[in-house]
Amino acid sequence: MTRNPFTGAEAVAVGVEVDHVFKEFDGGQDVLRNVSLRVEPGEIFVIMGPSGSGKSVLLRQIAGLDTPTSGRVLVDGLDPALEETRAKVRLALVFQAGALFNSLSVYDNLALYPREHRLGNEAAIRAKVTHALKILSVEDAAEKFPSELSGGMKKRVAIARALVMEPQLLLYDEPTSELDPVMSATITEIIATLKNEYSVTSVVVTHDRELALTIGNRIAILMDGEILLIATPDELRASKDPRITDFLNPVIDIQHPRFKKLETQATT
Amino acid sequence: MKQLNAIFEGVGSVVQLFLRSASYAGSLPRQWSRFIEQCYLIGYTTLPIVAILSFFIGTVLALEAGYAMEGFGAKEFIGSLVGLSMARELGPMMTAVLLAGRVGSAITAELASMTVYQEIDALKTMNIQAAKILVLPRLAAVLVMMPVLIVIANIVGWFGGSVVARYVSYVGISPEAYFAALRHFTKFKDVINGVEKAEVFGFVVVLVCCDIGLNTRGGPREIGAAVTRAVVVSLILILVLDYFVTKILL
Amino acid sequence: MNTTQQTARVGLFFLLGVALIWVTFETLSDGKFFEEHQHKLVARFNDLRQLKVGDEVRLAGVRVGSVQATRLAGRQAEAVLQIDPTVAIANDSTATIEMAGLISGNYISIDMGSIGAPALADGAEIRTVETPDLNTLMADIGGLGKQLQSSLGSFSAALNGDPSKGGGILQKLDKLVTENSERVNATMTNLQQITDKINRGDGTLGKLVNDPKLHDEMLATVDEIKAAASQAKEFVANAEGVMDQIKSGKGTLGTLVYDQKAADDIRASLANIRSVSDKLAKGEGTLGKLINDPGLYDSAQVTIKKVDRTLDGLNDSGPITAVGIVANALF
Repeated sequence: MTRNPFTGAEAVAVGVEVDHVFKEFDGGQDVLRNVSLRVEPGEIFVIMGPSGSGKSVLLRQIAGLDTPTSGRVLVDGLDPALEETRAKVRLALVFQAGALFNSLSVYDNLALYPREHRLGNEAAIRAKVTHALKILSVEDAAEKFPSELSGGMKKRVAIARALVMEPQLLLYDEPTSELDPVMSATITEIIATLKNEYSVTSVVVTHDRELALTIGNRIAILMDGEILLIATPDELRASKDPRITDFLNPVIDIQHPRFKKLETQATT
Repeated sequence: MKQLNAIFEGVGSVVQLFLRSASYAGSLPRQWSRFIEQCYLIGYTTLPIVAILSFFIGTVLALEAGYAMEGFGAKEFIGSLVGLSMARELGPMMTAVLLAGRVGSAITAELASMTVYQEIDALKTMNIQAAKILVLPRLAAVLVMMPVLIVIANIVGWFGGSVVARYVSYVGISPEAYFAALRHFTKFKDVINGVEKAEVFGFVVVLVCCDIGLNTRGGPREIGAAVTRAVVVSLILILVLDYFVTKILL
Repeated sequence: MNTTQQTARVGLFFLLGVALIWVTFETLSDGKFFEEHQHKLVARFNDLRQLKVGDEVRLAGVRVGSVQATRLAGRQAEAVLQIDPTVAIANDSTATIEMAGLISGNYISIDMGSIGAPALADGAEIRTVETPDLNTLMADIGGLGKQLQSSLGSFSAALNGDPSKGGGILQKLDKLVTENSERVNATMTNLQQITDKINRGDGTLGKLVNDPKLHDEMLATVDEIKAAASQAKEFVANAEGVMDQIKSGKGTLGTLVYDQKAADDIRASLANIRSVSDKLAKGEGTLGKLINDPGLYDSAQVTIKKVDRTLDGLNDSGPITAVGIVANALF
């Protein structure tokens, strides 16, 4: 176990428990059906699945932005939807689109959390923010505004913003989507490095096969709101389940009913 | 029934938002720069349009009053009519309407886009309350800026009335007579009355616009719908509240 | 735009607003914003009527403060007055509630008090005088009007009278004249006849008027009469003196008239007289017979005729003394 680069304190990673979660939207459609999984402290847990399978919804439950219709989600044994939990457990979510504050500069985006929670004086905050920007190699963008950044830069700034929070649980929503292969590789590298150096529990939601198989300690396949299986990358590669092999090594066949299904189901 | 339910839901949501913001009132000194920024947006940038509108409201009032009062030789009272109606009613109400159109819509647009682009969610995961850093500074700013806007609106409106009183041939009373009548019938109390009214309007408009913005659901298309709804609701509320606030203050 | 600039603009804007609020206030309220330290006086009244908080307090008509509060104090009402501390209110000044006008409200009027009287201290109680308010005044005037009407009514009734009770003074006077018109006419005719005769020189009086010789004698007589008249005046004066004495209860007659006992005596005498006259009427006693006896009446008639003749004689005979004529006729 390593030390947190910001505080010097020993980082205490937290576990996540998802217990028989059902999520139903107003339309009456089940997005999640009886999802149960455990994320061990310090591991990288990847949730994989095709678009519309409910991955992002599951991640929002874990982040506490949404509550399940039934079942429960616990982060470090606490309900993440409660404000008290978020005051105790630092969890950060890297949104798919970054969700940077458009009215604030990159620097202010990163400094918002420590400023609001009064974590040190302005000099300490500056040191922290600069450090985080350096880790993500975006220190040149400090004075820019989010609208001036490219997609990859936005993702990296978003990760930097999450890092400044010194999170115990780091959630990534499609960290490599809409990125070119080089940038995807960079992001993959960053996620792996963070896990190794800062001992943070990571949950990565992605449909990027490369990313999942490269960094995941364990991978859950989510299809149509149900967990198909939870396995290590090696087990997954060895799997003979047609649905899994299909997903991991897709054959482009326009006539296949799977495509029809994907077309009718809008991204949630 | 569904609409009624929606109204109750809206009221409840607004009240909740108000209480949550109020509970963070102590953090206002630390949000000084946000407060100043909102003061700038709500007060300074709204001033020109408020001044222009008030000037013309004053002129129209004087014109109409002059026309109506000429018939029974009460032209000397134009000043008092313009003075009182500006201070008590039109100054606060028109300023609030402009506030809804100019500031309220901007607030809703900003907060709705923050909601749609998940910035509000990001704040939530950071354990930073939108009510605290987004709503509270705006409410404080509107409370501070509204009296300033109202007083400027009043004075500009009165001045506009005096211009008409002086230069329109069928009115034709001197500015001295106009302001003497104005001073005789308009008391500082009336101005204060108008300011109180405007504070209520401004506060409600900002609060409602914040609430509608924060409750936007769906994609970017919803931002426009939210802005429209916010302005319409604000205008209705201003007029409804006007009756009750006037009744209370009388 | 940087933050400093923004702050500066907001600051400028805010200061402008404050300045304008101040200007508005100064213009509309004559600049009484801060409550300077002010003296307080307490004025107790039985009834504050329409006096309300904020009404003026005037010393000899000049505004020196305002009513700060009104409250009940036991069985009375109390007004707390805020007075400009530079104004000294004498401790014998009195406060009254006055009307500012029919429509406008009331104010408290304080008079100057006497020269050299010490000033009232802060919080002291000022003497008050209750003045009738307009409503009471109106009610009083109404009552007065009613009284006036009723007295005027009785006056007019006295003059015009109640027809059922035979009318008032005027009617009675009218009736008197009407009923006696014949007699009055006759009198007037007689009078005219006499004056005609005199004019023509008929009779003694006529001659007296128309004869120059007689005129001179007459003048001498008039002189005598004048002398007699002055004597008579003297007599009258004396009589007046006597009357005054009587009135003041001096002298016999005075006692007689103004003394209770004397009055009783007189009443007794009058009673006696009445019994005597009663007896006379019934023909009792000597005098009664005298009066009631027909024979006596006849002789009296003769005597009267003689008097008549005498009067006729007066018409014909020359200038003689009246005594002579009477003696002639009687004998």
